[in-house]
Amino acid sequence: MSVDVTLHGVAKSFGSLPVVQPIDLDVAPGTFVSLVGPSGCGKSTLLRLVAGLEQVSAGTVTIGGASPAELRAHKRLAVVPQQPGLLPWRTVAENARLLLEVNRRHSPTRHPDPAELLDEVGLTEFLDAYPHELSGGMRQRVALVRGFSLGAPLVLMDEPFAALDEITRAEMRELLARMLDRHPATVLFVTHSMAEAAYLSDRVLVMSPRPTAVVADVAIGFPRPRRDALEDTPEFAAVCAELRHHLHGAMR
Amino acid sequence: MIRRAGTSPPPWRPVRWFAPAIGIVTFLALWEGFVRWRDIRPFVLTAPTDIVRYLGRAPGDFAEASLLTARHALVGFVVALVASIGLGALLSTSRFLERAVQPVLVLVQVAPFVAYISSIVLWLGYGDPPVHFVTAFVCVPAFTFATVAGMRSADPSSRELLASVDTPRWEVMWRLRLPSAMPSLFTTARYNTGLALIAAYLVEGSNFADAGLGAIGKRFAANNIGDGLWATVFCMVVLGTVALGLIGLFERWLLHWHASQRSLA
Ligand SMILES: Nc1ncnc2c1ncn2[C@@H]1O[C@H](COP(=O)(O)OP(=O)(O)OP(=O)(O)O)[C@@H](O)[C@H]1O
Ligand SMILES: [Mg+2]
Repeated sequence: MSVDVTLHGVAKSFGSLPVVQPIDLDVAPGTFVSLVGPSGCGKSTLLRLVAGLEQVSAGTVTIGGASPAELRAHKRLAVVPQQPGLLPWRTVAENARLLLEVNRRHSPTRHPDPAELLDEVGLTEFLDAYPHELSGGMRQRVALVRGFSLGAPLVLMDEPFAALDEITRAEMRELLARMLDRHPATVLFVTHSMAEAAYLSDRVLVMSPRPTAVVADVAIGFPRPRRDALEDTPEFAAVCAELRHHLHGAMR
Repeated sequence: MIRRAGTSPPPWRPVRWFAPAIGIVTFLALWEGFVRWRDIRPFVLTAPTDIVRYLGRAPGDFAEASLLTARHALVGFVVALVASIGLGALLSTSRFLERAVQPVLVLVQVAPFVAYISSIVLWLGYGDPPVHFVTAFVCVPAFTFATVAGMRSADPSSRELLASVDTPRWEVMWRLRLPSAMPSLFTTARYNTGLALIAAYLVEGSNFADAGLGAIGKRFAANNIGDGLWATVFCMVVLGTVALGLIGLFERWLLHWHASQRSLA
């Protein structure tokens, strides 16, 4: 259950400030694509353009042959924001179900069971806890579950692990990889961590400073499933170095 | 929306009750002493013991009047709350509407309602209607401001999340914006409790009825019965204290998830 994503000449300006240069992009179904680039270059903006939460200034976004608006209307697009955005008055279980409960008329008929997803991320004991009773990592796991609860074929993640410490980040990365094994989707993933991008992605797009464009499109060929040990291999270090090299090139 | 209090109740701490009790007793003692020492006329200031003695002469009458005033204030308060949530929800959707209505609300808030009570009584007649009207009217501005500010404060991440599945406006209102406005509504409820009680008292005194604390207070004032007048003041203070206590309980129940309800530890 995943879709292809096509950007055709997609550009964006805020008033007179150009933020995204015309971008052409083809993402095959089920691909995990990371976006890396300097802070403020327009990565979040590009993600919001794909979701249709921001209007394009030029060009078109097509997702599985449909427009972002159609996808949103059928709840076939999931967003995992940088801030978990949990509702503090809802329990963990209720937050995990939130996207299924709102705009219910259009909820997909088949979707993963949020309770099972919570079990997969190890939160069974916290179903009735409130967000303020959780650690930052646990909150982000709830946000992840909420994102997967729709069974959406396209998942957009904007630095979902940025606020977490190094160890928790590594755990979350593992968790995300495992969830995608079980619930395949096309993913666009913004990150500042080269290791995170290299570990998770099939493709990494390196973005230039604002107004942003794709300056490098790096295929990551490590076999799946990937495991922690991958990080200690020289091949992995070489890929990270290559990404960093592209990024520095972009910033000059 | 809310099912249970997530955290266990705070431990029993005598200081929570002991400290305020000491404060009140000290205050009453100073008051009593001052009146006795300077031999102040009851109409100017009645000693607490005399107030209690006067209440004891007709406890039933004072209780009945207190209940009526409480009912008047409660009706006005609740009507204002419901109307303000509706109005605030509307205003929070449009900066233009908000700008247009805001000055009117400020006018209502700062106009001395004592001055126009008799006009309202002439308009709405005697009895309950003018009391309910003025009480609700004066509470609306603060409740509306609190609703607008609270709804606007809804977490942007959550807003974007709901937008990503095309959540209809009313559902965003109900599931996100209204709960987000609850903390500021509770803060305002405390302020409006006093306002509603005072408005009820004053209109009762001006609507030619003979029931309610305001009406009997007015009669005592006209007949120069200081003890009686101060007895109505005492009843008002009790009403206000009970009302604030109830709001505190509601807040602990409905806002258990909010940072304000957690201990400082
Ligand atoms: N709604 C908006 N109105 C005006 N300017 C905006 C708006 N949203 C973003 N921008 C501008 O667009 C640029 C790119 O912002 P964006 O948030 O997409 O960057 P980013 O690459 O995600 O940065 P970071 O890595 O720090 O999150 C910034 O200069 C920002 O000021
Ligand atoms: Mg960003």
